[in-house]
Amino acid sequence: MRSWLKLIPPLLVMTSIAAAAHSAKTWKRDSRGVLVAIAQAPASARERKNPYEGHPDALLAGAKLYRRHCAECHGLGGWGAERAANLHASDVQTASPGELEWFLRNGNVARGMPSWSGLPEQRRWQIVAYLKTLR
Amino acid sequence: MVPFCARSSRVLILGLLSVGGILPLGARPAAAQETPYFVTYSHHLEEPGNLEIEFNPVFGTQRAGNNYLAGTTEFEYGVKAWWTSEFYLDGQSTFGDNTAFTGFRWENRFRPLMREHWINPVVYLEYENVNEADKAMIEVVGSDNESDYAPPNSVLRQAHNYELEAKLILSSDFKGWNISENFITEKNLGHDPYEFGYAVGASRPLALAASARPCNLCLENFIAGAEVYGGLGTTWDLTTAGTSHYGAAILGWQLPNGATFRISPGFGLNENAHRFILRWGVSYEIPGIARRLGRLFR
Repeated sequence: MRSWLKLIPPLLVMTSIAAAAHSAKTWKRDSRGVLVAIAQAPASARERKNPYEGHPDALLAGAKLYRRHCAECHGLGGWGAERAANLHASDVQTASPGELEWFLRNGNVARGMPSWSGLPEQRRWQIVAYLKTLR
Repeated sequence: MVPFCARSSRVLILGLLSVGGILPLGARPAAAQETPYFVTYSHHLEEPGNLEIEFNPVFGTQRAGNNYLAGTTEFEYGVKAWWTSEFYLDGQSTFGDNTAFTGFRWENRFRPLMREHWINPVVYLEYENVNEADKAMIEVVGSDNESDYAPPNSVLRQAHNYELEAKLILSSDFKGWNISENFITEKNLGHDPYEFGYAVGASRPLALAASARPCNLCLENFIAGAEVYGGLGTTWDLTTAGTSHYGAAILGWQLPNGATFRISPGFGLNENAHRFILRWGVSYEIPGIARRLGRLFR
């Protein structure tokens, strides 16, 4: 038996442990109290400013987009449900706009939150502008 | 005994009626982040728990034969955020000939990477049980060409195909554009060699930002694009000689209530292809279908 084949079982075990640890970590919060799934955003994304911040029209557009794409899981009021986060909670609201936009783009696919990269970036920022009003 | 064509028509009609019966279940609007393609797949999967019902007819011209109207009724379900499953019923009606149910397909798409990247791969696996009379042409592989559709339905229906198909879907989103490339391989479970094909599509919404007011006829609800697809031969003869290729423009209109309309005029790009193909489609997205059905039986 080739020697490198012996490495496969331990690698599989290590991968499973890493996957389990990763999935468990997504429910934790970082030192700021932000959900780790959101706080995983790279620093470059975290520091991005919302180009629609303070635009009243963007809030209305964001609310419209929220009802269309997000309300089914998070509820019309954003209070969350069995499988979706409460968007009023501090572990979401403490996140920076850049982190939220990054999270919308990437989702948490393994945990059921789809990636919304199919929405143009402008619309994701409009949704973020609305989410920040739920504070 | 009921003639085959009458039975087939009945199946098609029942299929359409069942679609109509399910539609009112969608109480709250839901809109998927749809790309408008008919042949090309992108990495955007169905949102988990949602069911999308689509009816996609296609009209095709036929040299040395009769023009036809074919179509698929599709049920697309988001099993997980990384797994979408879809079931297709195919049928066709050839002018001057008859109407026939031509088979079914079941496909699954899996997203192996959980994050967004410049290029996002999706693995597509499909089982097909269709006969040669199938003219829905939801992909072109091998040396598929126009003359395959020329014989009468009574002859085409004799040959039944049990096939497995795999696609590697690569898809990117950049500044509002979606660009998707599909590499297709299909294997008849009988004696035929592996067949290859491709599909490439690009699309973009007509407006990137949403307007403040609810609207139906505003640019943000329209998405335009184009796709090119064709065959690449087989393992016995890996060549573009004898294959057919198509180019098509696409326009999609996504209504806030969850309905989407699409239209796509397409043209054969070489002598082996149908000269003109017109596809159109209507789809409706029902969010949280399992939960809604569960409520009915409580």
